[in-house]
Amino acid sequence: MRKHYRTIKFAFVSALTGLVLAGFTSCGKRDDNSPGVEFMPDMYRSPSLEYYQTHMVDGQVEMNAKQPVKGTVARGFIPYGYENTAEGYDKAGTSLKNPLTAKSREEYEKEGEVLYAKFCVHCHGATGAGDGKVGAKLPGAPPAYSGTLKNLPEGKIFHSITYGKGLMGAHNSQLTQEERWKLVYFVQKLQGPKESAGADSTKTTAPAAATSSTTAKTH
Amino acid sequence: MKNYISRTTAKALIAAIFTLFAFNSNLFAQDGAKIFRANCATCHASHTDQKITGPGLKGVFDRAPKGDWMKRWILNNEKVIKSGDAYANKIYTENNKQAMNVFEGQLTDKDVEAVIAFLKAPPVDAPGLNSTSTVPEVGSEGEERSAKVEPLYIILAFIVIIAILLGTFRSIRTSMQNAANRAQGLPENEDITFFQEARNWMKGHRRFVGVMLIIIGFMGMKSCWDACYNIGVYYNWETQKGYRPEQPIKFSHKLHAGDNEIACQYCHSSVEKSRHAGIPTVNICMNCHKGIQKGPKYGDKEIGKIYEAAGFDPAKGTYDKTKESPLTWIKVHNLPDHVYFNHSQHVVVGKIECGTCHGDVKSMTIAEQKAPLTMKWCIECHRKTEVAMQGNAYYDRLHKALKEKYKGQYDVKMTVEKIGGLECAKCHY
Repeated sequence: MRKHYRTIKFAFVSALTGLVLAGFTSCGKRDDNSPGVEFMPDMYRSPSLEYYQTHMVDGQVEMNAKQPVKGTVARGFIPYGYENTAEGYDKAGTSLKNPLTAKSREEYEKEGEVLYAKFCVHCHGATGAGDGKVGAKLPGAPPAYSGTLKNLPEGKIFHSITYGKGLMGAHNSQLTQEERWKLVYFVQKLQGPKESAGADSTKTTAPAAATSSTTAKTH
Repeated sequence: MKNYISRTTAKALIAAIFTLFAFNSNLFAQDGAKIFRANCATCHASHTDQKITGPGLKGVFDRAPKGDWMKRWILNNEKVIKSGDAYANKIYTENNKQAMNVFEGQLTDKDVEAVIAFLKAPPVDAPGLNSTSTVPEVGSEGEERSAKVEPLYIILAFIVIIAILLGTFRSIRTSMQNAANRAQGLPENEDITFFQEARNWMKGHRRFVGVMLIIIGFMGMKSCWDACYNIGVYYNWETQKGYRPEQPIKFSHKLHAGDNEIACQYCHSSVEKSRHAGIPTVNICMNCHKGIQKGPKYGDKEIGKIYEAAGFDPAKGTYDKTKESPLTWIKVHNLPDHVYFNHSQHVVVGKIECGTCHGDVKSMTIAEQKAPLTMKWCIECHRKTEVAMQGNAYYDRLHKALKEKYKGQYDVKMTVEKIGGLECAKCHY
């Protein structure tokens, strides 16, 4: 009879330790896809609509993020008046001028450099030669600012940042107009001094270069 | 003899000329590849139909007029269009009258010939030259989700097996004992169930059972206490990883922010302007993936999901607004709704680096939560972080005033706590 009990004792103890171990592992274990236990979920997730989520209207799922109402603009937003066409590009090249003149050109270049490191450098490279790490993976590297784009007028630079050009995408959703103009200052610094004899845009760049250099002096 | 020599020399000469020519034309095409990549590739794909801005140039020599038309077109397409050339005007209107750059003055005749030689030559796999070229498969570096057998199941299976074995032994032993008893003419054992037997045993070992129950009770309480620490804390104690859900696209921060050195703010561009860092909209993906159509690991499978969401046709290079469908990214860093947190305040004013809270995202294949995001964690940081006052005119004035006010009384560090960073209503309102 005693032997009999010993086996049962073994079974009992092993089963209990097993259960305790199982309990321990299950407490810490959590699925990677599960955000875990929430205490009072209604405080975590309030009924108000949060960004990047959906809600139901009449049984239809709708996104919480909405397009602005047609015909309205955000406070402080100035619409960009040139169209995303070849004519708009040329027109921007001849008539669009950099409105940022409150600070000195050097200050704007500095601010532009910070923005350039965040928004441009991975394709255009640190010196604007088109040797960025992403640029190398694109089917075509961006042309060099001091090469093919040396004589590109400021209006065309701004237009290209706004709407994109060739393989480059539009950056107007990431950068405000003011930031784009700061970038234009820095890109012009990377372009280096303008040449008087260029193929593409000599007629438009000469006065543009003159005005920008005078603004730099006067302001 | 003379004849023999001349024949071999002739042969050798022909061979030499032939190899030289082949080699030369090859080199020529290579030059063309370089020129093409520098001047044309931003708008044209060289050996495919892929439309970027201009049409893909596969089979262009079958379409275009023969002779020196191509050379004239490349050098000055405006002149060819204005001359009233039928084919030139046709492709000009076909491509929405988007004028090609004029290369006269930039490229020499020889350069253009090299480009034409490159386009006529079969495609070569140069990195980045052909967006559709096969990309070498990268080994499975980085962490991957693997199907692991959970230890809990192993233990459970172990217990079940032991129970079955013990049950069998018990019945075998009982029947054998009964058989022995019968042979000796003794009465058979009472047939009691396992639970009756267990209860009998427990009655005989009260102290042991009591001590065991107390130990088990304490262990249970401890594990409950530990489990309470997990509430609202997104951390997987087993894998030692934060919350890292599977996203709709296998996007790798390691590849984008690490290897390609794209700044965090490029995609999370509202981090400096808004309360939210922002999940990039698909147009920001398209800024690069319009050109980069194959990834190093999943090829066009994962990038194809971007195109689906954007309604983009990679072959034609056109967008279809009706086919757009939003990507449902899963938010990794969640704060309860009753907490206010502002990214721009921390990043612009506080000058906190992204990695301080988000960890080394540049090495994460799967985006993962590093900080626990508990209130304790917030407060600890507010207690020890000194306010970045250099070059901030507001603090220059305030700090000066405070220094004068408390002259000689205090020698304290200006932490976030000191400017009200621990007040309840700073975050809860």
